[in-house]
Amino acid sequence: MIASIVQAKELWQTVVASVAAGIGVTFAFSMAIWGVGQFSELSRNDRPLAAALAAVAASLALTAVAAAVVFGIVVMTHK
Amino acid sequence: MSSDVILVIVVGTALAFDFTNGFHDTANVVATSISTGAARPQVAIGFAALLNFLGAFISISVAATVAKDVVDAEIITPTIVFAGLIGAIAWNLITWYFGLPSSSSHALIGGVVGSAVAAAGLDAILAEGLVGKVLIPAVVAPILAFLVAGVAIGLSYRVVGGQRPGIVSRGYRYGQIVSGGLLALAHGTNDAQKTMGVITLALIANGTLGAEADPPTWVIASSAVAIALGTYSGGWRIIKTTGTRIIKMDPAQGFSSQGAGAAVILASTHFGFPLSTTHVINGGVMGAGAAKRLSAVRWGVAGNIVFAWLLTLPAAAAIGALTYGFTRIFGSGALGPILVTLMALSLIGAAFARRAQQGAPVTAAGG
Repeated sequence: MIASIVQAKELWQTVVASVAAGIGVTFAFSMAIWGVGQFSELSRNDRPLAAALAAVAASLALTAVAAAVVFGIVVMTHK
Repeated sequence: MSSDVILVIVVGTALAFDFTNGFHDTANVVATSISTGAARPQVAIGFAALLNFLGAFISISVAATVAKDVVDAEIITPTIVFAGLIGAIAWNLITWYFGLPSSSSHALIGGVVGSAVAAAGLDAILAEGLVGKVLIPAVVAPILAFLVAGVAIGLSYRVVGGQRPGIVSRGYRYGQIVSGGLLALAHGTNDAQKTMGVITLALIANGTLGAEADPPTWVIASSAVAIALGTYSGGWRIIKTTGTRIIKMDPAQGFSSQGAGAAVILASTHFGFPLSTTHVINGGVMGAGAAKRLSAVRWGVAGNIVFAWLLTLPAAAAIGALTYGFTRIFGSGALGPILVTLMALSLIGAAFARRAQQGAPVTAAGG
């Protein structure tokens, strides 16, 4: 009876999507902040190549955040 | 003619509920951004109002659940919907008066279920939808937000742990513009749809729409406007409770709690679960606090909030049932709903006047 009432599939998909988006986006954004921090530190220490790599990492992480946000909104509007 | 008058009253009451929903829930949406210094109150509230408005247009899954899966639309009458709305508005205002962030959504569903049971007995309830789409997600969602926010903040601290605090705080404050915006969008889409669902239910009950109809465009647009106006006029009392009294947050905690809340609400909305956005956002706030240090969460305040949550469904149901009983004293025409509306307006006016005399709340418009 309970098993038929619980919308297990939808509930499970909600859990997976929430975990992936909630943790994934926060992690990616934290990586962006880490990249900016490293870039600033390495630039000050005259290590341009390492600083450039940190900047690339920060940019990639920010792009991932933006892509996740856009993807989420597109999925929402297509049902 | 009489049923059309009742329908007009129901639509007006539903939009008033939507306004109080936005007013009541402003705190949930903007408190973390304000308390971490990511945005000034007026800016945060204006931004949230705009995104609540836009959010109302991105989905109708939750509206369909409220209109078709909770109560039997064939048994429901516009008067039953009206009584349920009064139950929800009354409970929203009672919890606003005492500064408690309880759930507008549970108040709405509780009110409609209470009045439906009072009118037609338990046959009016669609148990499968009520349990599977409302009650179980109501329990799962805040716990999920708690866990997601907790894990997310733990990861964040590990990633940025070695960085200079200035860069970290500034970064997460900028991030909160996006996470706060997403949270407002999520709030608008889930909560405005409940009003759309209730108005659609009343239109179906009145025979204006077919049983399987979706919300008409005017219902979507008016619900969007009402929740946005309510959000813009939002209550400062509950902002204080959510933003500073549960935990004192840093910007990283604000970002992860808002991100977790937005993720859970948007995912649930996609599957048509009419969540309590209040529960989810507070779950995220507590998760972000508890992951840093269990004692950082003021568990006494959190306990009061949980108590208000538990009370919401039965209290709104009882008020909805009593309201339906009262309207029936005057027959099945429009007189009962008209009298109840006049009484409700008088009580709301008195509550606001009393609060104004006490010097609170401070609204967005008043600073």
